[in-house]
Amino acid sequence: MKKQFIRFGLLLVFMLLIVGCSEDSSTEGEGETQDPGETEKATELQDTLVFGRGADSTSLDPATETDGETFYVTQQIYDTLIDYEDGTTKLQPALATEWEASEDGKTFVLTLRDGVTFQDGTPFNAEAVVANFERWMSAEDFIYYGSMFGGYGEDEANIIERVEATSDLEVTFQLKRPSAPFLKNLAMSPFAIASPEAFDSLAENPVGTGPFKLDDWARNETITLVKNEDYWEDGKPYLNRVIFQVIPDNSARLTALQNGEIDLMDGVNPSDQTIIESDENLKVFSRAPLNVAYMPMNNETAPFDDPLVRQAVNHAIDKEALIEGFFEGNAEPAKNMLPPTIDGYNDEIEPYAYDVEKAKELLAEAGYEAGELEVDLWTMDNPRPYMPAPAKIAESIQKNLADVGIIANIQTLDWSTYLEKAKNGEMPTFLIGWIGDNGDADNFLYTLLGTGSGNNYSFYSNEAVDKILLEAQAATDDAARADLYKQAQVLIHKDAPVVPLVHYESLMAGSSTLENYTPAPTGSEDFTDVTFSE
Amino acid sequence: MPKLEHSPLQPANPIEIEKKTSFLRLLWHNYKKNKLAVIGLGIILAFIILAVFAGLIAPEGINEQKTGERLLPPSSQYWLGTDDFGRDILSRILHGARLSLTVGFVAVIGSVIVGTLVGVIAGYYGKWIDALISRGFDILLAFPSILLAIAIVAVLGPSLQNALLAIAIINVPTFGRIVRSKVLGLKEEDYVEAARSIGMKNSRIIIYHILPNSMAPIIVQATLCVATAILEAAALGFLGLGAQAPDPEWGRMLSDSRTYLQQAPWTVFFPGIAIMLTVLGFNLIGDGLRDALDPKMKE
Repeated sequence: MKKQFIRFGLLLVFMLLIVGCSEDSSTEGEGETQDPGETEKATELQDTLVFGRGADSTSLDPATETDGETFYVTQQIYDTLIDYEDGTTKLQPALATEWEASEDGKTFVLTLRDGVTFQDGTPFNAEAVVANFERWMSAEDFIYYGSMFGGYGEDEANIIERVEATSDLEVTFQLKRPSAPFLKNLAMSPFAIASPEAFDSLAENPVGTGPFKLDDWARNETITLVKNEDYWEDGKPYLNRVIFQVIPDNSARLTALQNGEIDLMDGVNPSDQTIIESDENLKVFSRAPLNVAYMPMNNETAPFDDPLVRQAVNHAIDKEALIEGFFEGNAEPAKNMLPPTIDGYNDEIEPYAYDVEKAKELLAEAGYEAGELEVDLWTMDNPRPYMPAPAKIAESIQKNLADVGIIANIQTLDWSTYLEKAKNGEMPTFLIGWIGDNGDADNFLYTLLGTGSGNNYSFYSNEAVDKILLEAQAATDDAARADLYKQAQVLIHKDAPVVPLVHYESLMAGSSTLENYTPAPTGSEDFTDVTFSE
Repeated sequence: MPKLEHSPLQPANPIEIEKKTSFLRLLWHNYKKNKLAVIGLGIILAFIILAVFAGLIAPEGINEQKTGERLLPPSSQYWLGTDDFGRDILSRILHGARLSLTVGFVAVIGSVIVGTLVGVIAGYYGKWIDALISRGFDILLAFPSILLAIAIVAVLGPSLQNALLAIAIINVPTFGRIVRSKVLGLKEEDYVEAARSIGMKNSRIIIYHILPNSMAPIIVQATLCVATAILEAAALGFLGLGAQAPDPEWGRMLSDSRTYLQQAPWTVFFPGIAIMLTVLGFNLIGDGLRDALDPKMKE
């Protein structure tokens, strides 16, 4: 008896200690974040940026990848021929200083920057640019090349007929047909120019001309970049080191930011916005929306090969509730696969309204009784820049589907395996999103829904749509192009190959001393101009 | 009917029943002296009643999502508040009690059965079979139990059933070892020797003499094990390897709500309290039983 009381007493004391400790440490923690900051400010400006993000890069060769985590890093190591102005999708010179298109829109001549060398000492010149293009055209491993330029090698679909070094610093592109998005494509992260000497090992040992170079890569933990002393823009970059740190959980990442362990983070939970805004050591950056979060359904296999079922699912999902619940209002419901800011967005389309009865009717029409249809609904285990809480959204959608009589079993998978499964069409329906690469409608509609496009995860194929999309690629008149895209959206809307969910204005948070940082709408930006203030 | 009273099938029974009741009465007599153990028993009985009648008591179902009523603090309508889907936390905890208690009991019963069987064989027959089984236990015990559970679930695929199976597997060696060491001592006892000398078969000796006498430590260990099993199920649920959405498993509720720790602490607090209370309850019962079953109680 006595022993019992002592034991219980000890337990109580121990529990009180734990509670006491945790309270102490949290208050101390807050005090501490200010102090070291202030002492540091007094001595010298911070020169290392630690960027916290949800998952590791899959590779450091941008040409073979499509995911944002890879581009975050490769954007620092490599340069593209043409660049976007900060915060927009307007074009500005980068490795190419000037460009000129012929009148028929089929020949482009780019003048290259003089005196640039790759990080391994190889000179940057027209030969290097040609070598990169030849590499991308050589095999289907270069997914983005295929989806942006139509095809590979000698394929009729490959719009580039020839790439030639017409002088040491001049490259001439001869296209098979006019391509409106051609220059915008060149500015995309995957078409960054790599050193031809390093082609064989770019995935682990990236060599570009960018402001930073790889120092160390601890898989699934950190990627450390150091300043490229020979960077072509004089005096830049201002930072000496950039460290990408993986912290999968959004809340844990915010805590790390509050504690000063990281300086910048993506994937802020919308619900945490008020906490960040009320903290004077932090500030919020918002990324202009150039994305769509959506739910592809495999159009080739039952039950989603039936348009009625796909329309029913479109009617079943309550997007407003998702936005209120898991985006805290920082998103707008999507009715098209294009963000509304892009030229060619068709605002006249009547969205599939949230309508349980209508969905049930459509299912009945397709021949399914309530509870008869059972599907796997896949979700990734980490937040994405277009979707802060995929697992929760899946759970909410699961309930929406249950309400109309579709039993959805949620399956969760890690990001890299997830993409693999998506490409192979192994998931009947799942959550995913797309961040625009170049701000062109083609980059959404053809990339995500064109027959044979590497990112067409719903395996949608409609000849009429393909015809319009290819015609739009070739059109040189902006108004005519916009019109074609509007037509395509009408057809796509009717077929309902996917459920467009939302366009999310994603939030980033950083230390209040972080300056000259502008999130790019395309999802990845370089840190060339970033500095820390006092 | 009087004939039946003298039926040859029955004569041992009255004596045995009396022996049992007196054993249980003695056990209870000793047990109730320990106030903490009685509290523990009360907690667990309360949870069992709540779990059995969850369907009647719970004000709502487990997955009634109401977007307008997200993250509401505890109130007269929602006694324990609502979660980020606008679901009633009280209802989910009550239904979750079913899952947690079922996992706790079923997993432990499974490990007790398998562990006892294997332990008796190892202890009674000895030699190479003992060496084989004991090394098997050593291998299982070499892994941290939760790590082993994670590995098993990773292979089988995440679900509540697989989590239950994993927990049952990792607890087998605990019982196996206890039974084996107890049997090693028992088989040298005079009454076992006596039974063998009159030609009793091994299987009968094990069933009628060895097993009943090795039950006490198993009962204590099983009670304590239910507590750890519930905790392990919650841990697996927290890691996303146990119950799947929308099942209201307590560990899963914790992990689902941890993003709201700052704005809506009740979403984390109450499932946590539920886990803590059941684990505490089983631990108190286990401690009480250990003292009550101590051989010294016969004095």
